Amino acid sequence: MSEEVLRTEHVSKSFGRVTALRDASIQLGKGEVLGLLGDNGAGKSTLMKILTGFHKADSGKLYFQGKEIELRSVSHARALGIEPVYQDLALINELSVYRNMFLQREIMYGGVLRILNDGAMRERARDQLNQMGVNIPSVNVEISKLSGGQRQAIAVARSVYANAKVLLLDEPTAAMGVRESAIILNLIRRLKEKGEVSIIIVAHNYAHIFDVCDRVNLLQNGEITFDRRTRETSVEELMNLVLHELRRAKGDIRQS
Amino acid sequence: MPADKVDSLPPRQESARRLERHSLARRVGLFLLYSREASIAIAAVLLIIYFWSTAPGFLSISNVGNLAEYAATTAIIAAGEVMVIICAEVDLSAGMVYALAPFVMYFAHQAGVPFVPAILLALIAAALVGMINGFITVVLQIPSFITTLGTLFMINGFTLTISNGYPVQPKGTPLVTNIFGGNAISQILWAIGVTVLLQFMLVKTRWGLHTIATGGNPLGAAEVGVKIGRIKMGNFILCSVLGGLAGVLDAFRISSIDPLAGGTDIMFMAIASSVIGGTLLTGGSGTIIGAFLGAAVLGILKNGFTLSGVSAFTFDLILGAAILITMVINVRLSQLRAAGGKDE
Amino acid sequence: MKEIKLSNAGGLSRRDALRRAAGAGALISLSPLAGFGVSSAEAAEEAIGKFPKHPQWKFVFVNHVTTNPFWVPLRYGAEDACALFGTTFQWTGSEKSIATEMVDAFNTAVSGKADGIAVSLVDPSAFNDPVEKALAAGIPAVSYNADAKGNKRLCYIGQDLFQSGKALGQRIVEGVGEGQVAGFIATPGQLNIQPRMDGAREAIKESGKNIKLDEIATGPTVNEELSRIQAYYTGHPDIKGMFAVDAGSTEGVGKTMAANKLHEKGIHAGGFDLLPTTLDAISKGDLDFTIDQQPYLQGFYTVMVLFVYKISGGLSGLAEINTGLKFVTKGNVDPYLSTQSRFEGSSSEEKVLTRSGPIS
Repeated sequence: MSEEVLRTEHVSKSFGRVTALRDASIQLGKGEVLGLLGDNGAGKSTLMKILTGFHKADSGKLYFQGKEIELRSVSHARALGIEPVYQDLALINELSVYRNMFLQREIMYGGVLRILNDGAMRERARDQLNQMGVNIPSVNVEISKLSGGQRQAIAVARSVYANAKVLLLDEPTAAMGVRESAIILNLIRRLKEKGEVSIIIVAHNYAHIFDVCDRVNLLQNGEITFDRRTRETSVEELMNLVLHELRRAKGDIRQS
Repeated sequence: MPADKVDSLPPRQESARRLERHSLARRVGLFLLYSREASIAIAAVLLIIYFWSTAPGFLSISNVGNLAEYAATTAIIAAGEVMVIICAEVDLSAGMVYALAPFVMYFAHQAGVPFVPAILLALIAAALVGMINGFITVVLQIPSFITTLGTLFMINGFTLTISNGYPVQPKGTPLVTNIFGGNAISQILWAIGVTVLLQFMLVKTRWGLHTIATGGNPLGAAEVGVKIGRIKMGNFILCSVLGGLAGVLDAFRISSIDPLAGGTDIMFMAIASSVIGGTLLTGGSGTIIGAFLGAAVLGILKNGFTLSGVSAFTFDLILGAAILITMVINVRLSQLRAAGGKDE
Repeated sequence: MKEIKLSNAGGLSRRDALRRAAGAGALISLSPLAGFGVSSAEAAEEAIGKFPKHPQWKFVFVNHVTTNPFWVPLRYGAEDACALFGTTFQWTGSEKSIATEMVDAFNTAVSGKADGIAVSLVDPSAFNDPVEKALAAGIPAVSYNADAKGNKRLCYIGQDLFQSGKALGQRIVEGVGEGQVAGFIATPGQLNIQPRMDGAREAIKESGKNIKLDEIATGPTVNEELSRIQAYYTGHPDIKGMFAVDAGSTEGVGKTMAANKLHEKGIHAGGFDLLPTTLDAISKGDLDFTIDQQPYLQGFYTVMVLFVYKISGGLSGLAEINTGLKFVTKGNVDPYLSTQSRFEGSSSEEKVLTRSGPIS
């Protein structure tokens, strides 16, 4: 496996009497795209929130670039280069593409005045988007006028521009049509080719997972029960595992 | 139009191409139609033409001076309100700070403080009110409508108490009086200065950008690391300071400081100016130039109708109707803009 | 219950009505209505009485509480005088005593080349510049109802406020003798009522009697005034007398006296102006007296002063006019109650009132 960038060992987390994560151990290599599957309530969101620094694990260890770390906060995680990417949450509708991309990292003319250098930001934004193969009519357009796929792409582009090392995408293609999903999936593939960024994708759509992911994990009842390279498994195999659990839950099959 | 074909031109060349296609006239026409401030500017021009043709002396120099004085202080308060409204908040207490500040200036001067520092003290007092507004809204998480409603009454009561209800005369050398609102030119210059400065701040500085972000998507902005609490606090302070400045200017204009001077009327006029000028009450979007024009429109309506001989009773009726009609036109033009505009 | 009709101001000619309608409809149809925005000087000249033809001059009344019912008789007086002299007037200013609004309205009248401006000088300094500007522009400016020292207005038509306050003070001395009394004032410092309070204080001092006058602000709106007076009484049940220097507060005092049956306890009360509830209170004995400043005359004589000034080219017309200081008590209140007329503001009907018997 390529150089490891992120790893959790036996992480657990409970909220009151509800155990969200029991024993979650995942690994992510540099330039790798990892797909995380699992039912609702399996613990996917909790795991993501621990990785982004939003929650602290009850037990277990977290390793970043080989070193054991404790994430103090979301800002801390972000400072290290671990970024969650939400479709709607972090973009400002009323602002243009380039202003969104540079929000909180604005390029300014120097000196006391701190005036925004729109020209430079526009140029860099265009370059970044071109490099990533994202096609937008103009970086001056207001975000509200773009489609869901384009917005998601801009959010990703922003994180990439900020030198994020790990991107955490929570259901990036949910509620998107085929064309829109294609934009995102193409983008992820481009990033994979470059090999700089590592990505974890939480998703439900098997086709998308197998389209872009190098490996796939299955999270069931707070534990990782499946960890295989996508090349070495199939949609069928995964679905059987999931169906098995479903039947077990319905009480049809005795535990084997 | 989303262009995700692999072989389309890179964005920069695409837009350059499009610009070349537009002739100058078309671009000017598009600008007029699509800029947010255009609709209110058009309304202002139409009203000026109307009153010029029907009200005697409307465009005489002395009346233009009156008009400027009507509108200037409203425009200044409106500029502050725009910043607060863009953050998706509101400041109802600005009209009361308007009444308080000149009293602070007066009492400071009575206590021996020289003129200009006394004015600064007045503005500092105004900033303090803004801080209170900000603290209660941001830290204690009370909706700003309620917060500023409370401070509205508190400041009003405070002003009445320290003044004992008596009006006083502002003291100043002729120079101080003239610079701080004693004549129409200084009023206009202050209003224009504040408007230009704040509009620049809104569109070209980080503060303005973060203000828009805070109002447009507070959760998202906070996610990215924008300090929305600080932004809101700062804008509340700014709005109060401008309210205080307006109060000082008007005190010198009519050489009277009156505890009854402030109130809800001028605050509503300021907020109305902001809204008819194109600032959305829901936050995330606004224009200070628009608010200036909005204040101008309100001033034109009031002044024009008074000149036309409309008496006190029918006055409010007509003013209200005129505001509504102006707004309807404004909104229609904005809708046209939104529907048509995928252009840059 | 007396009925007060709030009639619109201005002359009653059809031309004026059309002008107002044009103003309202203008925004909807922006067609050139130049013909309707005509200035008074261009209007057809009219000859009235023995006066020769003259332009229909327009006088502007700038007021501090334009919608207060107290001004109804004043506007009737102005209307009647305008009809008599062939002039018109505009009623404008501020609704809530906001000086900047009054100054704006005044300045607009100057720019609009009004033929005469009458202003209630409620602020000691705000109107000094505007009046000077009006005079410099050749527009006669007079004050009515309230006056300010140091202002260059040509003359004042209204009650001598300080003197009326002294008269009030003398009544207090006669009635109360000794003890604590309350003096209610809507908006302290305002020049149309503060001098009365000052005069009362002076009269009490001159009398040498041991009376403590407590000055209480009640606020510019009628509802507020009543609550504050009521609240004050609740906090000071040993008060010997409650007096007021403005119409609204007087009404409030009357109501409070009646609500708590204070007259029976020997508490004295009185005030100013002839609001209908005040007159009722007098006839019922809750108020000892009220002082009439004859607002009808303030409107009537002001128009007359400005008209004569204009038609004589400035040679005549100006005169300091004291519109009076009449005590209305239970003994003479009946005619006020039994009639409703323009003079009191209680009816808009033009009628002839008659009286009989000797004049007391």
